[in-house]
This record gives sequence, C-alpha cells and structure tokens, in this order.
Amino acid sequence: MYIAVTRTGGFAGITRKAELETTGRPDARQLTDLARAALTASRSPAPSGAPDAFHYEITIDGTTINLADSEVSEAGRALIQAVLSQDKS
Amino acid sequence: MTEMRATSAFCTIVPPHLLEQLARHEDPEVHHSARHSLALDAEHRDCRRLAIRSVVVPKPTLQPADSPQRTLYDARHHQGLPGIEVRAEGDRPSTDASVNRAYDGLGATFDFYLKAYGRHSVDGAGLPLHASVHYGEGYDNAFWNGSEMVFGDGDGKTFKDFTIPLEVIGHELTHGVTQYSANLTYDGQSGALNESVSDVFGSLIKQHALRQSAHDADWLIGEGLLETGVHGRALRSMKAPGTAYDDPRLGKDPQPAHMDHYVRTTDDNGGVHLNSGIPNHAFYLLATALGGYAWERAGRIWYDTLTGGKLPAGADFATFAQVTATAAQARYGDGEEKRAVLAAWAGVGVTPASHSSSVPHQSAAPEGAESAPQG
Repeated sequence: MYIAVTRTGGFAGITRKAELETTGRPDARQLTDLARAALTASRSPAPSGAPDAFHYEITIDGTTINLADSEVSEAGRALIQAVLSQDKS
Repeated sequence: MTEMRATSAFCTIVPPHLLEQLARHEDPEVHHSARHSLALDAEHRDCRRLAIRSVVVPKPTLQPADSPQRTLYDARHHQGLPGIEVRAEGDRPSTDASVNRAYDGLGATFDFYLKAYGRHSVDGAGLPLHASVHYGEGYDNAFWNGSEMVFGDGDGKTFKDFTIPLEVIGHELTHGVTQYSANLTYDGQSGALNESVSDVFGSLIKQHALRQSAHDADWLIGEGLLETGVHGRALRSMKAPGTAYDDPRLGKDPQPAHMDHYVRTTDDNGGVHLNSGIPNHAFYLLATALGGYAWERAGRIWYDTLTGGKLPAGADFATFAQVTATAAQARYGDGEEKRAVLAAWAGVGVTPASHSSSVPHQSAAPEGAESAPQG
C-alpha cells in the first residue's frame, strides 16, 4: 500500500510532505490498518478550518482525502505521525 | 456597545432575545442600538444563523472593563479543547512557564488594543480571553479556533514552545479582532491580508510592550521560536520578507516582498502565509517612513482600515491599499501620512483600486456605528 501525507498551513506556513510504501516493512500491517481506518473515518470535502490551522492531504493507493486538523481521527493522527516521521526535516 | 451591531460581519453575536431585553433598557444609548439591531434582524437572519454556528456567543457586557478576563487551560498533550483550567484572572502565577507566558501575553495584547485604540478585547466589547497550552504531542503550531487561542509545545528539534514569542500571541488574538471586524476571507489575497494584519498587530504588540520605535524594532515574527541549530532568526521578516531563515531542513524563507514575486499556489488556502509578505512589507515601509512609535500613526491607519466598515471581506491587495489611503486621509488629512501610505504600496508594487471598483459588495457597518464611542 502506497501512503503519502502533505501537511500545509500552520502559523509557520511551512509545508511538509512524506510518502512510504508499506510492502516489506515490519509495520506494514499496522500502517495498512491505520490507513483503512483513516479513510473510513474521513469526510469530504475539507472544511476551510481556522486561521493558522494545519491541513492534511492524505493519499492512500490513489484515493486522496483532505482534512482540517480538527477533523483528523485518532487513526488519522497516528498515520500522519508515522508517515511524516519518514521525512527527517 | 459594539456587541449590538446587526450589520457587520458578525452581526450575530447577540441573540434576539437579548436584543429584545436591551431594547427595553432605560438608557437611550442602549435601547437605540438594540432597537436598530432588531429592525435589521429579519434582513440579516441568514447571516445571524450562519455565524452563530461558528462563533462562540460572548456574554455581552454593557460597560466593558478596562482589564482583561483571562482563563488559561492545560490541554495535557491531548487535542481536546479547552483542557483543564489552570489559571484564572487574578490568580497567582503558575509553576508552568507556558501558562504564565500565555497569561502575560494575553494581558499585553489586551493592554495594547485598549491603550492604542480604545478597543476592549478582541470583539471590542470585553470578550473574555481563553487560551490552551500544551496542545497535542510535540505540536508545531499555534492557532485561533474562532473562540480561543491554542498553543503547541513545539517538537523540541525545530520549534520551541509557541508561547515564547509575544508576537505569536498577538498574532493569534488579532485573528479574533479580524473575525469580529472586517472578517477577511481566509483564502487568496484576502486570506494573505488576514495573515498580514495578524503579523502587523502581533509585531506592534511586541513593540508596544518594549516601547520600541519603528526604527528600533526587529520586525520579526516568531523570533526565538526556532531551536538552537536551526539557521534562522524567526519565521517571517516584515523588514525583509524572504530572509527570516535559510536552513537545510526547513529550506529558505519563501515570502515575497513585492507583487513581482507573488506566489500562485493552491496550498495553504492560496499561500496566505507566503503572500502576506507583500502587505507586511508595505506596512514596514509606512511605519519607518513616518518614524516614531509604529502603533501610533501607521498602526492607527491599519486599525481604522480593519475596523472602519469600508473593507469588504473578500478584499484584494489593491482594495485594501485604497481603503488604507482613505483611512489615512480621513484621520490625518491630505498630508504626509497619506503620501507615505501611497509610497509604501508603490514600494511593493500594489496600485490602490479606484474608488468605483472598490465599493464593498456587501455593506459592513463600522464598529461602533449607532453606539457610544469606545474607550
């Protein structure tokens, strides 16, 4: 499963992007479960959100969802953290 | 009595039953505003319903106090708001430095708006100020959620605690001021103006607290927020947009200072944190041209622009520029101030809109219209 996360917005205005392919990873099962849960919990389209709030774009095998920070589920938060931690910046 | 406006962007902050009560009040200043609001009520019912959904209705205060009503919460590293109350107005300092910095920053911001412009809190009517600290885990952000301020601790690698810079606190509360006045749409150029207004007053709040002149101020936003080892002084520079940081991990500060470098993007609501560099620099040029304390004439012109009722929610840079020139002339006449305003916009490549093209498409009443003067 291919998973990509882009975080935009925020007070700093700095965009962060990271992606990963679960195949061959020791945590593949966990990431796949999180991704499925995140997709299930998400609604669309993304609301405009609050000033300075983060926005996320999450792509999971060709399906892309957009979320305001306040709308991210627990599973979504865990997934975002796991993917963005791939990016060392 | 600004809480009784019925025609501004936040026409909805007083519920009808309360307006009816106020309309029967013996004080003519009170009942006149309430009766006027009620008369307009039907006309604005849709607006009222819309905004009530998104805004916490403040308790109206007929005579706003000249001191803040602060409450600090600890989110305890969760993302539920507001968290647990940890310091109320008048309480002794906490053992938590984040709580105390936020408490003091809310106080400095309240003090600034009252002393500089006679404004009582973010809504002009004494709105209690609420803030939550320790939001989320290693959370690299601070934001205004429509009714309170929220601060993360930072990740400890790139960012420190977001309560550290006073201008960050001032920036977030100014989003509240904007919400209750021009209510600039958070997208594209009006969104960049919303961001810029928060940077402008965030910086002025710091300058006011430090009694710095325009020439002494650092004009940085987020100064002291970057961890040791990150190559940068701050997140944004109003004096020299695009120069705040240049770091292997963060990249280079991408803010433009001139319309020639306006960034077209769909990210971040159309680059609201990028293109804010252009009006930020225009304000810097104005403030340094006029000299002295920047919150006095330059800040006053910007404040009049934001709260005067002539700025449409969807204003672009050219419209905003035109309203600043009008505001300068209204307050200071056709003199040095207005000339400096026009020169500042020319300096960033913005040509003020002509009067005919900048008429607001929806009427916005000036704050304080039909009411007693503030302060």
